[in-house]
Amino acid sequence: MKIAFTLGYPSKRSGRIYVAFELHPKGKWKNKERILIFSSRGINFRTRHLMQDLRMLMPHSKADTKMDRKDKLFVINEVCEMKNCNKCIYFEAKKKQDLYMWLSNSPHGPSAKFLVQNIHTLAELKMTGNCLKGSRPLLSFDPAFDELPHYALLKELLIQIFSTPRYHPKSQPFVDHVFTFSILDNRIWFRNFQIIEEDAALVEIGPRFVLNLIKIFQGSFGGPTLYENPHYQSPNMHRRIIRSITAAKYKEKQQVKDVQKLRKKEPKTILPHDPTADVFVTPAEEKPIEIQWVKPEPKVDLKARKKRIYKRQRKMKQKVNSGNAK
Amino acid sequence: MDTPPLSGSDSDSDDSLVTDKELQEAFSRGLLKPGLNVVLEGSKKAVNDVNGLKQCLAEFKRDLEWVERLDVTLGPVPEISGPQSTPQNKDQNKDQKGVDPEDDFQREMSFYRQAQAAVLAVLPRLHQLKVPTKRPTDYFAEMAKSDQQMQKIRQKLQAKQVAMEKSEKAKQLRALRKYGKKVQTEVLQKRQREKANMMSAIKKYQKGFSDKLDFLDGDQKPVARSTKEGAKGQQMRKGPNAKRRYKNQKFGFGGKKKGSKWNTRESHDDVSSFRAKIAHGKGLKRPGKKGSNKRPGKWTREKMKSRAR
Repeated sequence: MKIAFTLGYPSKRSGRIYVAFELHPKGKWKNKERILIFSSRGINFRTRHLMQDLRMLMPHSKADTKMDRKDKLFVINEVCEMKNCNKCIYFEAKKKQDLYMWLSNSPHGPSAKFLVQNIHTLAELKMTGNCLKGSRPLLSFDPAFDELPHYALLKELLIQIFSTPRYHPKSQPFVDHVFTFSILDNRIWFRNFQIIEEDAALVEIGPRFVLNLIKIFQGSFGGPTLYENPHYQSPNMHRRIIRSITAAKYKEKQQVKDVQKLRKKEPKTILPHDPTADVFVTPAEEKPIEIQWVKPEPKVDLKARKKRIYKRQRKMKQKVNSGNAK
Repeated sequence: MDTPPLSGSDSDSDDSLVTDKELQEAFSRGLLKPGLNVVLEGSKKAVNDVNGLKQCLAEFKRDLEWVERLDVTLGPVPEISGPQSTPQNKDQNKDQKGVDPEDDFQREMSFYRQAQAAVLAVLPRLHQLKVPTKRPTDYFAEMAKSDQQMQKIRQKLQAKQVAMEKSEKAKQLRALRKYGKKVQTEVLQKRQREKANMMSAIKKYQKGFSDKLDFLDGDQKPVARSTKEGAKGQQMRKGPNAKRRYKNQKFGFGGKKKGSKWNTRESHDDVSSFRAKIAHGKGLKRPGKKGSNKRPGKWTREKMKSRAR
């Protein structure tokens, strides 16, 4: 009979309140799945928060320190064995930009490498739902997971990793949230919803991310490749293509300019003189050339004269006014 | 273009993967065509070891009870669309294939509906297996998000709502103000018009053009009056005062044009200042003020004097 301690609302004055009662009166914890969740060095804040969120949502998980990137990947198997874990989620950050995620079954089983995109963590204010810490999730899969063999293998792996074992000592017995895995655009989309009502009203809790499958290996962090994703494009390649597009645009402009320059320098074909063009040509009459010897008389500019008079009047007025003021 | 000889001595036979003899044989068999043959890299074929995958899955699979796994594989709940004549199957197919990953709303709705379908399918099963789904109200436990976080979220939602309401109110006020302004300007203009009409009617009476004092009675028959008034008013309203017009001509619109002709064709043809009645001598009927002032001439006075005696 296992008695578990559950925290009520802690109050700072009287210390923590312990409410002890039996969490799992009937069942024994049989499904011994333990997940090791850790990362390499060089991850950024978003990845760190994602990892913490996953650790919080999965009570059957264990944490470990960051791994040096110098070490080869099969060292992870030893780490798992030391921690007595049989599954592993390993986050690998490269170039401080790209995040890769390894899902693997530790000693012998298959492993898969993914590129993670579009990460939104639990703490984002748009994720308004909430769930019990450590409650068991309902897993919902797209029917496309049953169609192709590599997706079927991934489905099994995801089920074994993400489903909380029943009667796990740190888990809550309620089922109040659902993990959604959907396949769209050759990627796996992960969402986490809270079940509010019995009529399936849902609110998103978070986190969210998108997994882009790269390869599936037969062994854990190694071994022969079972499947390679033909739609996968490495982020380096993606960036390179974008840069080459902009470069190509510029190059094309330059080329067009060069061609135009060459064309200008080409000798132009001079057409022979067409005699019929002169038929209707009539020369203009010649005007006699007039030369002015005498300077023209200056015109009386009435406007300017008026302006001068007006200005003088104003000045006189101002003088009078200022005289009055004094 | 000349083709290089196949058995050329300049080809580096050490590095090439295919020897010259092999090439000759291939050519004689008809596999190689004449011309310059370039070794192309074939498109990389992605590894898809279906059998290996299936075998791995078979080994890896754990036969757990459904209660342990709690997994569901279902498509999304079909959309409640308007009355359509196409059959249900087509609709579903369209839903599944038509979800555009770029369209954020559609995509998120499809995920939401998938989750909904899963929940609706599973809840009865869970109740059967006596797995609790509802949390009792006296069950206090730590939540995934702290109370502080939930407070923040609530505050943000409230702020959003308040901002929206404020903007709605502001919009309404602006619309009302515009309408109010319109009404105000209309009322002011109406008042000005009435005043102008009254003044013109008074002046007409003063000058003796009309001897009716109907305008003092007020708006008895506004409809009929307005039409009559409209006709007369048009004549009166067509320009400003005569004095104003003269002044405008002299000083307005850039001032008097110096040295400009005033006996032009237009001025000659302009007969607007012709008053037929005055020209024929029949015109103005003045009330007797000035007429009575007219003193008879000397001779008439002498005659009257002599007659009086």
